[in-house]
Amino acid sequence: MYKYDAIDRALVDERVEEFRDQVSRRLSGELSEDQFKPLRLMNGVYLQLHAYMLRVAIPYGVLSAKQLRALADIARRYDRGYGHFTTRQNIQFNWPSLIDIPEILERLADVEMHAIQTSGNCIRNTTMDPFAGAAADEVEDPRPWCELIRQWSTLHPEFTYLPRKFKIAVTGAPSDRAAIRAHDIGLRVVRNDEGETGFEVFAGGGLGRTPRIGVKLTDFVDGRDLLAYLTSILRVYNLAGRRDNLYKARIKILVESMGADAFRDEVEATFAQLRGGVHLTPREEIDRIRSFFPPPLAPANDVAEGSAPSRPGFNRWLLRNVAAHKVNGLASAIISLKPIGGSPGDATADQMDAVAALAEKYAGGEIRVTKEQNLVLPHVPRGYLPKLYDALFDIGLATPNAGEATDIVSCPGLDYCNLANARSIPVAQAISHRLSADGLSDQAGDLTIKISGCINACGHHHIADIGLLGVDKRGEEHYQLTLGGSGTEDAAIGQIVGPGLSGENVPEAVARVVAAYLELRISASEKFSQTLRRTGSEPFKEAVYAH
Amino acid sequence: MRISAIAHEAPTIDEVETDPDADAVAVDGGEDPARLEALAGRMNRIVIRFPTFKDGRGFSLAARLREHAGYEGELQAAGDILPDQARHLIRVGFDAAAPDELTPAWERAATRPVRVYQPTGVDARSAAAERAQAGRARKVASLNVLFKDASPEEVLRHALADKSLGRIAALSSFGVESAVLLHLIAEIDANAPVLFLETGRHFPQTLQYKDALIERLALTNVIDLAPTPAELARHDAGGDLWRRDPDKCCDIRKVRPLSEQLRGLDALITGRKRVHGAERAQLERFELVDGVIRVNPLAEWSYEEIEEHARLHELPQHPLREMGYLSVGCWTCTEPAKTRDDPRSGRWSGSEKTECGIHGKPPEPELETSLS
Repeated sequence: MYKYDAIDRALVDERVEEFRDQVSRRLSGELSEDQFKPLRLMNGVYLQLHAYMLRVAIPYGVLSAKQLRALADIARRYDRGYGHFTTRQNIQFNWPSLIDIPEILERLADVEMHAIQTSGNCIRNTTMDPFAGAAADEVEDPRPWCELIRQWSTLHPEFTYLPRKFKIAVTGAPSDRAAIRAHDIGLRVVRNDEGETGFEVFAGGGLGRTPRIGVKLTDFVDGRDLLAYLTSILRVYNLAGRRDNLYKARIKILVESMGADAFRDEVEATFAQLRGGVHLTPREEIDRIRSFFPPPLAPANDVAEGSAPSRPGFNRWLLRNVAAHKVNGLASAIISLKPIGGSPGDATADQMDAVAALAEKYAGGEIRVTKEQNLVLPHVPRGYLPKLYDALFDIGLATPNAGEATDIVSCPGLDYCNLANARSIPVAQAISHRLSADGLSDQAGDLTIKISGCINACGHHHIADIGLLGVDKRGEEHYQLTLGGSGTEDAAIGQIVGPGLSGENVPEAVARVVAAYLELRISASEKFSQTLRRTGSEPFKEAVYAH
Repeated sequence: MRISAIAHEAPTIDEVETDPDADAVAVDGGEDPARLEALAGRMNRIVIRFPTFKDGRGFSLAARLREHAGYEGELQAAGDILPDQARHLIRVGFDAAAPDELTPAWERAATRPVRVYQPTGVDARSAAAERAQAGRARKVASLNVLFKDASPEEVLRHALADKSLGRIAALSSFGVESAVLLHLIAEIDANAPVLFLETGRHFPQTLQYKDALIERLALTNVIDLAPTPAELARHDAGGDLWRRDPDKCCDIRKVRPLSEQLRGLDALITGRKRVHGAERAQLERFELVDGVIRVNPLAEWSYEEIEEHARLHELPQHPLREMGYLSVGCWTCTEPAKTRDDPRSGRWSGSEKTECGIHGKPPEPELETSLS
């Protein structure tokens, strides 16, 4: 993992001091709430329905055991003993007091973390394939590049007051586990014929009110020129992006209104000005950052043979929650934060501490957060899997449902968020119960369900096989059902199939969609999206509405 | 950054476009960048207004003016701007600010030194550059230990044949001592790039000597670096800059063309020696100047050793040598040396100046410790 040097350290410390000053100016009245708002947002502090919410950046979703323990400590000390992992691989604390926040930021700084730019109209925390450095199909580990982007985007002088928020996602593999085409900028690591590392670049993707799939800007930009290229995209957007209408301010609207070709021309013209100048990353810096991410080692012989698990259900967990690794003898284990009927993405302080300890004991001390709101131990010797399973089972974190219908993604919704139109968590809980009760989730296998409590789409409902969007219908919570979305390499936006459903009808409707899929699919290997493409939405629509 | 309570009065862009004598303009951050850049060349002052502090277009407009259009005049940010934005304003190229609300926090904010991650068009500082610089400083220190007792040939072989310092070139004045270094280089790699600063002010004898050496040593890659006509027209239209401001003259004729070239290089071989005295008395074989490793293979050679080598290999002599010139630069600023002990005493004779500036200053010693 990356380790701060004196420069990183000083930057974050300065920022904590600056925010302490801003908080005291706000408390003394020198700053109005209107002036304070963008400053607090830039430090991850939101005003929610009931309290301030602090969103902490987990850089590209990578945590050390020590950092996870610090998050547990914050949850216990300043919050109500739990935290919420988000679809952007961050963590949110829902109940801190404003006056405590500088102190929380200081504790975060102690473990090389911060909340800088986790909200506000700036470049947000980069998201990444959670299996980076482990995935069997990877071209190159994208973590060093994400770290490079983290540093470049932090306190960027030119891009801190953008028209709207800005999100970058990176994958190092041909299979897209980072939804790169659903982001303002999506990057895929590629190699050219000379074996040099570079990036395929997409821009103009995004969910929210106007979901769009990103368009390709270039097949290859050299790794050393990456920051010049990103600067070019952001510069064009910052100058030309709309500022008159909050809902039309994202880069996707600009790309669409200019047209992909004109937008690309403008970016390339800017890039021609910037390329090779000060924005060129020194080779030494790339090598230096890479040196923090050595490839994982094959396990020692004495852990190659595992012991037998003593808790029930190991084989099912192995099948669902363990992913292939590029190194022989290692595997990646997914820790589901979706117990049946639970609140998606929540973890208690005790669970965080326990996972930190397990990561240290069995997995080299590294933890990842996924956009599916789960945790991953990326490098577990296969021989340790039974012991790991037993330990997870005992703390309620061994739900064998990764990637299944009950692995539901959900935003906090109306229970916490002041943007929401409808609740998300209780709906997720009810669906989870319904689908697990008669084994529908098990039978369906890979299938994604995602719920957003409002059009801002934090729950990524547009890119789910089955998406649910909370809407306010004459003061009542209703849910729109969409089918056929995908955030992977065949990215697609889900389509609305019929009128909105009331909350109480949602679990049954979803169960019918899943049952229809089971009936319609040719074989167990035909995915939901394939069946839907083959049959069209009519049979699903009928299953939901013809009752 | 200069802070003031009231923004400069300046005409609008519509007015400026019809007034060829105007040298100042005030625009909103939302102004069309191409339109503003088209007239930036004749402006001395540009005011960019921020309608609200949340509207960040002014930052990119400023960055474009500095970075794309090369605008060098005053750039003032005005309007609804916060002291918390001062650091950003400065780094994108604003050198003045006139906030609507001038609070005491402004003075603090505008003068507070800040750490930065990313370079900008006006401020090349960056964490990456600082780290790379520290890494190169460590490398230079270890090279000096490693090659402490090595011969100039061994040093050059390491630099040229093994390519272990990255992209490299040699710098030569084709002056009275140049033949020895060029000979040693040619023995290893006659195709190595050799840079010559073509100031347009060389003695004809130097240029003849250059041709003679190229032929004798079979050098195949001598590159002339000249100032751009635009720079000459701007700073030295009368051709008398050397008399008015010799530092500026060296800057446009030597320092700038060389630094432009050095952007693509990791290391540069020079023929400087300790016996030249003054700033060079402590010269190391390897040093770091502005992020580029300088290799000085002959740092410790005496005049006797130089002359012995030249005699042994029958290298031709600079025609001005026998007229008493021991160090040769431009004819405008070079006289014969006063004494044998101070060969560079004929350079910028009668002034304090002893160096043209191309060899920079070695980095401050505290840099390394502050990064450790």
